Amino acid sequence: MERQDSKGKIIREVYPSEVVSIIGSLAAGIILTLLILPFQTFSILIIIVPALLSLRGNISGPFIARSSRDLIIGVFDFRNWLQNVAATYALSIITSILIGILAMILNLTVFKLFIIPHYLLILIPCISMLMSISVSMPTSTLLNYLAFKFGFDPNNVVNPLMTAVDDFFSVVSFYLTLILLGVP
Amino acid sequence: MDYFKKIFKESIVIVLISSIIGLFSGTILSSSEEILYSFPIILLLLPALNSLIGDIATVLVSRLTTHLFIGSISPKIEKSNRLIEDFYGLLLTLCISIFSLLGIGYLFAYFTNVQIVNPTLIITILILTMIILFLFLFVFLFISSIYLFNKGKDPNNFLIPIITSLADFLSPTLIILFIILFT
Repeated sequence: MERQDSKGKIIREVYPSEVVSIIGSLAAGIILTLLILPFQTFSILIIIVPALLSLRGNISGPFIARSSRDLIIGVFDFRNWLQNVAATYALSIITSILIGILAMILNLTVFKLFIIPHYLLILIPCISMLMSISVSMPTSTLLNYLAFKFGFDPNNVVNPLMTAVDDFFSVVSFYLTLILLGVP
Repeated sequence: MDYFKKIFKESIVIVLISSIIGLFSGTILSSSEEILYSFPIILLLLPALNSLIGDIATVLVSRLTTHLFIGSISPKIEKSNRLIEDFYGLLLTLCISIFSLLGIGYLFAYFTNVQIVNPTLIITILILTMIILFLFLFVFLFISSIYLFNKGKDPNNFLIPIITSLADFLSPTLIILFIILFT
């Protein structure tokens, strides 16, 4: 199949998924522009945002890929899924703490903007990341299961859809975290 | 807990490296705060632009890996019909997707009252950025896939996590660089 793929087939298969992905990501962009830009601390917050959005691809993406692979090869069970979830949470927490520490160091050495207490730079990515993957993991598992059940290849269908969901919820979680922690 | 350990061990290093690259992107955006306030549409479009180039690059890596494993591309750095077909297929998909993205993005901006400043310049810069990034990533990912495949490794495992962060870093950098150059 792969050998016979033409330019037309590539465009037909990739483009529709891209449109869904674009709409979700634009919704994330709107939240960034309308809700995050007005924060007094925007110049510090924007250091963290790209790292958090990258995590969507690096942590949630492999989680989705592992779940769909397990479904396809027939080894998907609750015990495996729980270990996959636990590993994804562990990776998220460690990475969020690192992002927070590095953002704090960058602020102390380069930007020198002392508008919020430094511990918030660690709490913000941690809470925000935990919130967004708590939405992402059950949603992607359900979509994987439904795609598989209805005869689609979860690899082709779920990943682009989840790019849209993850981008949107990453920014929503980020905004909710700022409100929750009372960041100015 | 074997599955947990396997996932954790294989992922932790690459995820940490990718997050550090992500922070560099944040530093570039934070240093260009004035540009973001002057052209707020950039901030609206940025996550979608990053997703677009990241998705196209991911498709490219997956396809290259499959071609290498099934033998439709030889593990040498040389032109082939299959490679040319993939190049034009993905380039055309990228071009159509950019126009859709810009169309939908500007509509979103219009309806949400996000300020639209100098649209011709911004659209030119965004198209230029995406095409330059695609050309760079195509060459980089093709050479890296061949190298990793020849070393007996699966290019998917190494290249997919790194390209997400690389695309997230390179797209705002190029956009801001072009805005500085052209304004």
